[in-house]
Amino acid sequence: MIDGELEGELERRSPGAWELYRKTAETRELDVSAAARGEIWRREEGWAARWWDGGLRFASASDRERLASAIALAARLPAREEAPPSFPGREVQRDDSADAVDAAPELFAPLSQLVSEKSRGEATLASLTVRRGRAVEEIRNAAGLSVRMASSRLDGVARALGRRGSRGCERRSVFRWDAEPDLPGLAGRLADGATLPLATRGLPFARGAWLLDPGVSAAMLAALAPLFAADNLPRWLKRGEAASRRVTIADDASADAPCDGEGTATHRILLVEEGALVSRIHDLRSAARAAAHSTGHGVRPSYRTPPRPGPRRLFFETARGVAPPELLAGVGRGVFARALTAPVAVDLEGDRFSVEFTGVVILGGRASEPVAGGRVSGRISEFLARIAGVATDRQFFPMPYPVGAPTLYVERVNFE
Amino acid sequence: MEVDDAAIARWLDPLATTRGDAADVFVETRRQTVVEWRDALPGEPRVSVEAGVSARHRRGGRERLAFVSGAGETSIRQAIRALQNPSGRPAPPGPKAADRAEAEPDSSVERWTRRLAPVLERHAPRHRFRWSLDEITRRVVPAGSSPARSSRRLFSLEGTFTAASRRGDEIRSFSFHAPEADGTADELRQALTHAAVARERPIPAGDAGGDVLFARGTAAFLFHEILSHALEAGAEESPLSMLAAAKVSVPDLDVRDDPTRLDLFGGYERDDEGTRPRAVKLLDAGRVGGRLTDRAHGEARGSSGHGRRSGPGDPPLARGSNTLVSAGAATSEDMTRRLGSGLRIDEVDSGAVELSSGRFRLQFPRARRVRRGRLAEEIGPGSIAGEILAALSAVEPVIGRDVHVCRSLGWCSRAGQVVAVQGEAPDVIVRRLAVRDR
Repeated sequence: MIDGELEGELERRSPGAWELYRKTAETRELDVSAAARGEIWRREEGWAARWWDGGLRFASASDRERLASAIALAARLPAREEAPPSFPGREVQRDDSADAVDAAPELFAPLSQLVSEKSRGEATLASLTVRRGRAVEEIRNAAGLSVRMASSRLDGVARALGRRGSRGCERRSVFRWDAEPDLPGLAGRLADGATLPLATRGLPFARGAWLLDPGVSAAMLAALAPLFAADNLPRWLKRGEAASRRVTIADDASADAPCDGEGTATHRILLVEEGALVSRIHDLRSAARAAAHSTGHGVRPSYRTPPRPGPRRLFFETARGVAPPELLAGVGRGVFARALTAPVAVDLEGDRFSVEFTGVVILGGRASEPVAGGRVSGRISEFLARIAGVATDRQFFPMPYPVGAPTLYVERVNFE
Repeated sequence: MEVDDAAIARWLDPLATTRGDAADVFVETRRQTVVEWRDALPGEPRVSVEAGVSARHRRGGRERLAFVSGAGETSIRQAIRALQNPSGRPAPPGPKAADRAEAEPDSSVERWTRRLAPVLERHAPRHRFRWSLDEITRRVVPAGSSPARSSRRLFSLEGTFTAASRRGDEIRSFSFHAPEADGTADELRQALTHAAVARERPIPAGDAGGDVLFARGTAAFLFHEILSHALEAGAEESPLSMLAAAKVSVPDLDVRDDPTRLDLFGGYERDDEGTRPRAVKLLDAGRVGGRLTDRAHGEARGSSGHGRRSGPGDPPLARGSNTLVSAGAATSEDMTRRLGSGLRIDEVDSGAVELSSGRFRLQFPRARRVRRGRLAEEIGPGSIAGEILAALSAVEPVIGRDVHVCRSLGWCSRAGQVVAVQGEAPDVIVRRLAVRDR
């Protein structure tokens, strides 16, 4: 538990302008490959303090005593003038349990079997890491907030190798399951990602429609996400016409946690509504700069870093989407981007993006032949404006926060 | 009071009961100070003080690791107890004795804050930099062999600054990593001076195949990706794994991995399994050399001292450290002439390799076109891609004579584990690489 002594120390340094955070986490991890097996148990504790004393200062540590030492050192360093934000002051108590964490499930054998089946023997599962964890976070601040919330997760990363003759290819896939493990979905992504790049043909045409697999769409949305937290929008982005009218994007982490990393209550926020950029996300500091209220998006990727504004569970709305076969049927000549072969590259200021992928050619609404590799680059604004269809098959991917995306249909792009 | 090594070794004894068993305790304390610099004004200071301990047991292909925050006796005992429990689930934690926090820091952090202001103001007055100093102390107590301690102080400055180009201002990226030493400030000053030199505004690189001259130490980046990673033990899918002693490049090319170079960011006196490291020849006169090994992969020669951990919560992996390319005889002008037409790369931002396909990629912020042996227009940003064996066989048999440290190469991530690395290299030409706009 956070104790009063630290609070008193921070109040003395910075009356009315401090925040304390503590996280305890227990994780059990299973790393399995054909030749080796590793089991890791971690019990981690992290403390953090943020206070405004002539400007923002931040200290973190693995225990209370070291936090006191870190606070003392940070207090001796220069800080730029910045007024403290207005802290949330209500009190929340939720999920006070401290159950032990069960071992991570043994999934290597069934996933290996599925990868082999889905790739017709051309891909093998090389390694699988599955983590099961539970964390308890506590937040207190100078306004009297006292929050304690617990969360649990099941996630990991799998790696498959595809081989055809002397050529090989690797596919890594990170996953996070909110419910039961989705092994067939993961196996499909691994099998296709590891074998499609081994195809002998490149793209047969230079222009056409572009279907993006939910995993590719999610990576694209994650790459564009900084736009939703930017203090200043790039010049090319027009609020009223940010994207096609088929695009609605929201953020809602209320099923994950009652509060954000600063203790502000979680709620759903609509960011893009029928193509119009309608709001942005704020943490306490960005809200103070904009003379607004926090939207509950002060995220802490780790206790070692201060909160910053960012998405928490970002997704395309699919309520008015169409079934994926319908989208496919509407493609006369195009390419289905099944998996990325390089990270999505974006230049948000310059309105440029580049996506490298592997996939399948679509002709007359039917999947034709695999494509080893392709690239689509161009203006972000044009990409967003040309989204002509959104499917209903939304899936969530860890980016590392959950990003939900369905199959997207972009009516016209140039392929390289 | 610190628990003595003999006591920890005694606690480990029940774990290492079978011949071939390995068990150790790893303790790390780390203090990181970060200051955000905006136009020569420091701000948003962040200080992190952490301690963690892990106990590890390996038998055959099975490894178990238990990590607990803290570095005192309670944490060490708890980590070892977790391994002794066959289910892997430890007893609930008892009341934790107060762990001794490290002594108050010396004044080097405040001294750096005072020293950096005039350096940045003079050489790059408009900037957004993140400066950090990592002070890391590690202690390894293995069952059945001698304990080891090591410490490092790592200095990093990264970010962007506004530089004058001949057609107006432009934003340039800057990255500098070095172990903290007496000469670090002077070296930083030189690096900033070079980075801020007035240049022409760059034009797009365009997509093409091309010959590339890796200058100013950037060949270390290339060989870190295509040799160091490819020869890490455990990388069975690497195209070099079955090519021991095979001739894959020109006889003029010698590349080694040397953790004992403590003047470089990736150096250390003991690896994270307590082994004293040795330099390993990755490429010996163009032939594939040895592998980088940890204790699990050491075989007859034993570990090469490349068992490295990101932190106490992670098991050690065989990882590279400092990639060093031996000097040749050619001057920089000779190398540019020898290139003929192609690109001269002075800076690399990042790199990646996929060992199963052998494909690699390096991102550069800018480059210089070379036409008929003469420097021409500024290019960038872009990426260079190729395949490991094809690139090695396309190295030009003339190597530069002046070796440069590549201070922009600083941290390397594999399987989510980040370790400090670096390298130095003379100018090296590689033919027939793919160059692309970014």
